[in-house]
Amino acid sequence: MEEKLEPNEMIIHLGPQHPMQPGPFRLNLRLRGETVLGAEIELGFIHKGIEKILENKTYLQGITIVDRICYLVALVNEECFVGCTEKLLGIEPPARAKYIRVILEELTRIQSHLLGIGEFGEFIGFVSMFMYTIREREEILSLIDMVTGARVTHSYLKFGGVRDDLPAGFKEKAIPTLNKLKKAVDDFDQMFHTDRIYRERTVGVGVLTADVAKSLGVSGPVLRATGVPFDIRKNEPYLVYEDLDFKVCTETAGDCFARVQVRLNEIRESIYILEQCLDQIPNGPLFPENTPYGRRTPVMRVPAGEVFHRVEDPRGEMGMYMISDGSDKPYRLKVRGPYYPTLQALPPLIIGTTVADVAAISGSMDGCTSEADR
Amino acid sequence: MDVRKIIESLTGTFPEAISEAMVESEIRARAYVDKEKAREVCQYLKDSLQFDHLCSVCGVDYIKRNELEVVYHIASYDHPVVLTLKAALPRDNPEIESVVSVYWNANWYERETYELFGILFKNHPNLKPLVLPDDMLGEWPLRKDYKGFPNTTAKNLV
Amino acid sequence: MGEMKEEKTNNSKEIQEEGTIPGVITTTTSAIHNFLKKTKVQDIINWGRKNSLWFMVQPMGCCGVEMIATGCAHYDTDRFGIIPRNSPRQADVMIISGYVTKKYLPSLKRLWEQMPSPKWVIAMGDCSISGGPFYESYSTVQNIDEIFPIDVFIPGCPPRPEALLQGFVELQKKIKAKKDLGTEY
Repeated sequence: MEEKLEPNEMIIHLGPQHPMQPGPFRLNLRLRGETVLGAEIELGFIHKGIEKILENKTYLQGITIVDRICYLVALVNEECFVGCTEKLLGIEPPARAKYIRVILEELTRIQSHLLGIGEFGEFIGFVSMFMYTIREREEILSLIDMVTGARVTHSYLKFGGVRDDLPAGFKEKAIPTLNKLKKAVDDFDQMFHTDRIYRERTVGVGVLTADVAKSLGVSGPVLRATGVPFDIRKNEPYLVYEDLDFKVCTETAGDCFARVQVRLNEIRESIYILEQCLDQIPNGPLFPENTPYGRRTPVMRVPAGEVFHRVEDPRGEMGMYMISDGSDKPYRLKVRGPYYPTLQALPPLIIGTTVADVAAISGSMDGCTSEADR
Repeated sequence: MDVRKIIESLTGTFPEAISEAMVESEIRARAYVDKEKAREVCQYLKDSLQFDHLCSVCGVDYIKRNELEVVYHIASYDHPVVLTLKAALPRDNPEIESVVSVYWNANWYERETYELFGILFKNHPNLKPLVLPDDMLGEWPLRKDYKGFPNTTAKNLV
Repeated sequence: MGEMKEEKTNNSKEIQEEGTIPGVITTTTSAIHNFLKKTKVQDIINWGRKNSLWFMVQPMGCCGVEMIATGCAHYDTDRFGIIPRNSPRQADVMIISGYVTKKYLPSLKRLWEQMPSPKWVIAMGDCSISGGPFYESYSTVQNIDEIFPIDVFIPGCPPRPEALLQGFVELQKKIKAKKDLGTEY
């Protein structure tokens, strides 16, 4: 952005506070008329140094901190962190705990996608969409709240299991909620397919092809909308995803419309997974037997070693690289968030489009700046 | 693709550059790479072994060994193997060739590693701070001997 | 507003039957006229201010998503006259909804300066009150209350939307008790 401007060019700064943004970052656009000639992103407005803090917290305290990496998907972050530690400890949660984790993570996926779709609607001026999806999201949040006791940050997973069992009456409450959600998703789908203005704002906007998407390093719905069936739940199954029947949702167009469509279809798949889980969930203990791990984990030291564990976040591939030196605190923890490469891929996508499309393209990425900044 | 074949192919092609290659599990492998050859090895991985997805680049500070490590996690969109490639650098003058020309998305990861650890990436197109304010450059906050942590400016600390 | 509420409930039976939601005032033109006749200018100013607290949407952290949820369909702050606005120039209340970093502080100060008076600021969540889980971080700024004149503190990590609503109600009480003529801001 330092180069000299031509007489008919200008720079506008979107952010750090801008309605288009899921959190503070700055997008500097170089424009000629309405066409974007160059774009640059400045990050770090909410960089809180989580990796450094985690090095100075015990593993148990770390669960609370990783919750706050991305507040929309706290349980998935926990799964990644706890999964890393479990691999180093060499323990595996019992079947019931695994099912409970899958249930909660799929609920997290649903609420994150609902917020993502709603935010996208708001960014392109379709504010009613935001209200519709938030209304459904509150229902899902109350289901999560029922189990974990919190809406956003849970600290629910523990090493080797989960903190509490599903409360009485969870299934009875969950099934009608999911049925209602199914109907709502069908409504959204119909609305997207029939609303002419919506289609004009999204179809053919911000097109990514499979090869370009791969070379940009994106993952999640943004990649799947280009037709690449890359999903960690299938490629590298963790928990009980191997035993569950679900398909990886893909679209071929690679534009904003396809990205939102992938998210809608994933909500349907998640509902299907949840129904299977609620049917199949076995009874049993919540922690592995004959180990010291339980609801009140003792002061624990993790054997020296290193591990890279990946899980499927609603936004794509979430990975953590944990190095332990045998003490009670991680020596190093690198968080590989899914939105970071997606945000990085934003400037090449918006160059050549118009200013009005910037909001649409940026919104269709379904962002969470907190996780990109950490 | 089998993880053992990948390691064999890698050590066979770069017998000097790759050391301590080991298979951790069916889907994880790790190896040390000579810092001069890191870019070349990445190019080979991408072209010949389908490692077309760079998960992350990060730094690790081994203060007792007086070394900094750059760790590349390289994966693929086709097979589930993740290769952890490490390059050890001296702590007083850490420099390594940038891999942006191979993996486009290494750009931000390298910028972040630069500002947090002080590892210089040669031939990087735009090596400037990403998440830290400009005046914090040079403090290298994620190194183990960083003095500014914990921050004690909060007035109500107990 | 106590006087006005009594008058209104005396006048119309339907409203009384519907039950009263705290903080929500359904009124009639005649009730407003009576109110204007009987009260000081100061009370009218405060009444106007406290019933249209537009807040700036500026999600910064975990509390940001709860702030958005509060402004949306389910919790529906519109019924209190609390409406989310995207521009600081249309806003009365700034909600510091998270950790303030060294990099963001200048922008946040500028946002605060851009807001027209009278204006208020709410510290939402532990991060902006005391640093929260990030009190020892190298990149965050501590002691936010020394930088911004915070009116209401809402503890929680993050606070639930109900807590944010309660914070707004407390802010309304504070505005109502104000004894200036609008010159202090």
